[in-house]
Amino acid sequence: MALSISRIDRRYLYLLLFILVSIPFLYPLKLPLTIGVHSRLVYEVTEGLPPGSIVISSVDFGPSTLTENRPHLKAHLFHCKEHELKVVCLAFWISGGPIGDDVLREVYGSDFPNVPQYGTSIVYLGYVPGNEVGMQTFGDNTVLAKGTDHYGTPVGDLPLMQECASAEDFDLWAEWTSGTPGEQQVIQFVQGRHGGPSAVPIVVGSTAVSVPGMMPFYAAGQILGILNGLAGGGEYEQLLIDAYEYPLVEALPLLDSQSVGHLLIIAFVIIGNIGYAISKYGGGEGS
Amino acid sequence: MIPPNVGQIPPELGLFATIFGVFATIFIYSFLWKENPLSRAVEHLFIGLAAVFTLGAMYDAALTQAYWGTDRIIEGNFMWIIPILISLMYFFFFSKKYFFLYRYPVSIVAGIMAGMMICGQIQSNFLVQIQSTVTLPLVGEGVWEGWPPPGLDSIIIIIGIITALSFFFFTWEHKGALGISTKIGRYFLMATFGAAYGGTVMARLSLFIGRLTFLYQTSYEDWFWAWYLIPIAVICVIIVALWERSKPTPTPPTPETKPTRKGKSE
Repeated sequence: MALSISRIDRRYLYLLLFILVSIPFLYPLKLPLTIGVHSRLVYEVTEGLPPGSIVISSVDFGPSTLTENRPHLKAHLFHCKEHELKVVCLAFWISGGPIGDDVLREVYGSDFPNVPQYGTSIVYLGYVPGNEVGMQTFGDNTVLAKGTDHYGTPVGDLPLMQECASAEDFDLWAEWTSGTPGEQQVIQFVQGRHGGPSAVPIVVGSTAVSVPGMMPFYAAGQILGILNGLAGGGEYEQLLIDAYEYPLVEALPLLDSQSVGHLLIIAFVIIGNIGYAISKYGGGEGS
Repeated sequence: MIPPNVGQIPPELGLFATIFGVFATIFIYSFLWKENPLSRAVEHLFIGLAAVFTLGAMYDAALTQAYWGTDRIIEGNFMWIIPILISLMYFFFFSKKYFFLYRYPVSIVAGIMAGMMICGQIQSNFLVQIQSTVTLPLVGEGVWEGWPPPGLDSIIIIIGIITALSFFFFTWEHKGALGISTKIGRYFLMATFGAAYGGTVMARLSLFIGRLTFLYQTSYEDWFWAWYLIPIAVICVIIVALWERSKPTPTPPTPETKPTRKGKSE
């Protein structure tokens, strides 16, 4: 038996995964959702800011992790808009530039940047070159880091950028990341240089694979809250639905598929370990 | 200059984008069945597109930064020419005679990054982490209230740090008290790797669900084109795989004989 388990063609497992993950698309299971403490903290930190506070929203991911990071960015931008926070959106990833523009059009309307709030409540700087150096420069002097916004308007012509000269003016840094530069670089080159977590609070939305590496920073208070992958996005959307009737839901309907997929992976792990145990202790190949 | 709406798909290209996306998705996932020319073609296409996009966007960002919009150089701020000149020195990589000049921009970038990273790492990844560990609450109001109490978290973190660090202590043999500590530390490390594996599974599954969402739910003018294109794409993969299987297997080339120092062949 153990031998037959170890000889299962992995392509059958892929096929099984494909079929089971597809089922919730056709027949939604509506499994219950519990809001995790990390997602709730991101919501509470943002909600706790007084209207008019300046939030930096950094789009540091690419198309490969859109499924996970895009719901974070979209939901948080919507939250900031509804809570009347001022947002300076930018990207330190070159592939994040077009994504930020795309999401802002979804949140603020397809005419973005030709909306009344542009320049006073929302600014999109687009791609800021330089990776870590660009981050540090932006924290030291925002105008020096990027001369124009994403649409070619000089930064000096945007009233919001007059209020947001350096990291001393940031009330919250929302980092949407799937790699480097990401939250660690913001901690090192912006938060660390400008007074620590109390001066530049950071919340993060990250692809799930990176979250275990962030936990030491969360435990040390350098990160105040984390949206963990697709599940974190779904939880944040649920919080916004409860408070603001959030209309741009994206991650929440996909959580059924993810739960089914996780159950299948857990089953694979258990079956694989049973096979290993039989082969080791039952006198099979592995003994 | 790259147009600002570079990420937007123009409406007239919506159908083309849907068709292209469906075929690319099926072709790249066909790799799970077996590697085939279609999966390789899409892989190469992706790398090429990413390279071109990065090159174009970087060029645009550099010029926007230095020339357009800001007029920094026109206003006499010639300091902004220096980075451009330094970056142009990278092209000496292609010159045998002046190759040594290529080393200057590399050295400058490496030096700047080393300086920045060392300061940043020591402060944020080392000192703050130590500080937060030694100030973990063990006594005080509310530390042992509720379940799980925060004090219990603190004790687990302290034990985890000490035992996991002892696992990497190689001066003495792992016997006695040190042996017990390293064994406990190993379990903490395994739990950490397990959490990382769980996160990896969750992330990869999310990406797969994202592609399925595109395939199942992308519509163009109220038509779910993907539903009709998926079977066509799958048939294409099968035809190509069968065609490749029908080809004779090439025999591996025999290694060339290399002359030895004494002129004899090995």
